[in-house]
Amino acid sequence: MRIFDPHIHMTSRTTADYEAMYAAGVRALTEPAFWLGQPRTSVGSFTDYFDGLLGWERFRAAQFGIRHHCTIALNPKEANDPRCTPVLDVLPHYLAKDGVVAVGEVGYDSMTAEEDAAFARQLELAVEHELPALVHTPHRDKLTGTRRSLDVVAESGLPPDRVVIDHLNEPTVGMVAESGCWMGFSIYPDTKMDEHRMVQLLREYGTDRVLVNSAADWGRSDPLKTHAVATTMRAAGFTDTEIGKVLWDNPVEFYGQSGRLLLDGLAGSGPDAETFAGNSVLRGGRPGGDG
Amino acid sequence: MSTGLRFGYGTNGFANHRLDDAVEIIAELGYTGIALTLDHHHLDPFAPDATAQARRLAGRLRELGLRVVVETGARYLLDPRAKHAPTLLDDEPGPRLDFLQRALEIASELGADCVSYWSGSKPVELPDERAWQRMLDGTGTVLTRAEQVGVPLGLEPEPGMFVERLADALRLRAELGEPSLLGITLDIGHCIAVETDSLADCIRQAGPLLVNVQLDDMRSGVHEHLEFGTGEVNLAEGFAALSEVDYRGVAAVELPRHSHAAPVVAARSMDALRAAWRQVSPHPWLAEAEQRVATELTAIRGLFPAVGRKVGRQPLRSAEDPAGLVYGTVDDLARRQLIGVLVRNHDAAEVAAELAELYRYGDDAERRGVLRGLAELGPEAGAAGLPIVADALRTNDTRLIAAALGPFAERELDQHSWRHGVLKCLFVGVPTEAVAGLDRRSDAELRRMVRDFAAERTAAGRQVPADARRLLEGSQ
Repeated sequence: MRIFDPHIHMTSRTTADYEAMYAAGVRALTEPAFWLGQPRTSVGSFTDYFDGLLGWERFRAAQFGIRHHCTIALNPKEANDPRCTPVLDVLPHYLAKDGVVAVGEVGYDSMTAEEDAAFARQLELAVEHELPALVHTPHRDKLTGTRRSLDVVAESGLPPDRVVIDHLNEPTVGMVAESGCWMGFSIYPDTKMDEHRMVQLLREYGTDRVLVNSAADWGRSDPLKTHAVATTMRAAGFTDTEIGKVLWDNPVEFYGQSGRLLLDGLAGSGPDAETFAGNSVLRGGRPGGDG
Repeated sequence: MSTGLRFGYGTNGFANHRLDDAVEIIAELGYTGIALTLDHHHLDPFAPDATAQARRLAGRLRELGLRVVVETGARYLLDPRAKHAPTLLDDEPGPRLDFLQRALEIASELGADCVSYWSGSKPVELPDERAWQRMLDGTGTVLTRAEQVGVPLGLEPEPGMFVERLADALRLRAELGEPSLLGITLDIGHCIAVETDSLADCIRQAGPLLVNVQLDDMRSGVHEHLEFGTGEVNLAEGFAALSEVDYRGVAAVELPRHSHAAPVVAARSMDALRAAWRQVSPHPWLAEAEQRVATELTAIRGLFPAVGRKVGRQPLRSAEDPAGLVYGTVDDLARRQLIGVLVRNHDAAEVAAELAELYRYGDDAERRGVLRGLAELGPEAGAAGLPIVADALRTNDTRLIAAALGPFAERELDQHSWRHGVLKCLFVGVPTEAVAGLDRRSDAELRRMVRDFAAERTAAGRQVPADARRLLEGSQ
């Protein structure tokens, strides 16, 4: 089975995790830019972090046979720190890059005016750079935060099918399902969601527009939770096609809207948009294929 | 520029394979044509079921998307005791005439582009005029059959044979009244070996008469078919000329003495063909990008990140360099070309500042592109590239390290940093082939460092990398 983890913070993980993920079937992932646990105090530490996501971490993942993508943003928590907000001005540099498949994580932490401003500005950037957006929902006051996030998305002009609202649970999933946005679920060892509740939600809401991730980071988390969901789905009677849709096809479809996935050459990944349009990567390398 | 030419591979280079296996492998490697040498084990034209075999093969070739030209250069098909005998120049050319006519019938079954043939060597005692007459007569006889089945003939000038040069073949054709079904088969290696005109000029002279092209490397004066890159043939020059004359047929690799390693040689050959083709046939997106960069320096900012999406990311020579560390990748090459345009069209100081920015805000692929592009900088611009190379050599990303040690580092990097760069290659597994000027810049101190490195590995019970051993052996 092939897995695309649509949300995992590999910068905080070990090479043993990469090995275990590969063994469990993970072949691609997206690492959203987020808070590092220790607050940043300057724009420079953001840009070094972004460079790492686009450079070293991509290289590190490749050593273990995994395609690494990332999303780039000023996270909601640090949107409140005036030492950090100027990073908004350098984001366009990064949003043009290959493998940058969305703007994110954006959204709310404490629902302050500063967070409002950063959230709205970054959704504008998503529109400008023709990228989807990954929206984090707050740990505290989640229901209100999720509703308010959907309002901001609706005002942004970004079509709902280009937005994923992440870290959902039973109380918040319904309004997102109605909104037309993608539904993201983070499966954690003991908070957020677990694989059994996830399968229950899949029964209830179906497999369309659902992204399941491990959101593993520097906290207590498990990079193999995507695999655990697959196993639990199978035990619950879901077909291989449905499992493949949730754990591979859906992330590819959602992030594929960026046109920046780096899945070329990966068995069964299909042609990317450029190749499909006839502008094959082989052009200039293989004459006369049509003769 | 035409892209109608099709890369093929000669089945005489797969003499140790069953024909079915050979065509399958050739297709798998990306070739879209074959040059089929009829032989006792490859569609024997004298077999009772030759026609049925030809029909079956035709179906298989269609499935595999292979076009075909028929070659008649088998060595011992007609006479098991005398190579190539008899030829059209012999007193008794009957078997050769019969063979060529059968070949035309098989070619017709196969839907082949043509049947190629050569004159053969002139028997020593035979006067030139008689030999010439025999060539005219023999060709005339075979042409009659060619007209009946509607398949062109390709006369191939062959070093050491009576019709040795292109001019000879053209003269013969003229004396026969320029029959429309008599074309020319040209081996580009032969042009280097025996022709006085350049390869491009030979192709231009043959021009519209070309029905078949053979590709190989060769050295001047030596008729030995070599792998690409080991002789004097400039493939890109050949492709440019073939495009110029709008050649749309098969251009097949002709390496009849490499059958012992056929699949590997054929894969390597394909890499070389693609690399050369890229030089003459720029990607349309890249061509437009180059124009924009030439007129407006800052255009490169938006174009540079998009290169991989537009032109591809695969290694230039995937068979021998699967990670693209030594020769780089398609996007590396495209970025280097964009930087070349920048350097040639804009002020050196502005270019230097732009390269620093491209690197600073570049992802791993863009940084590789900048590093490889430094080779385009003139000698006066050394200062601009050095901090970039230094940054790359501080990383542990093998692709950046490999790209950092190209021709720019060879020329500009101080000896201490250069030695440490080479040592780092050994540490992280970058092939030292990626280091430009390795032999020229190696010194006693580097060898001392490598010796210590080897000793440390040995003490730890670990293997000493082959590249390290080679560096040390080179010093003895």
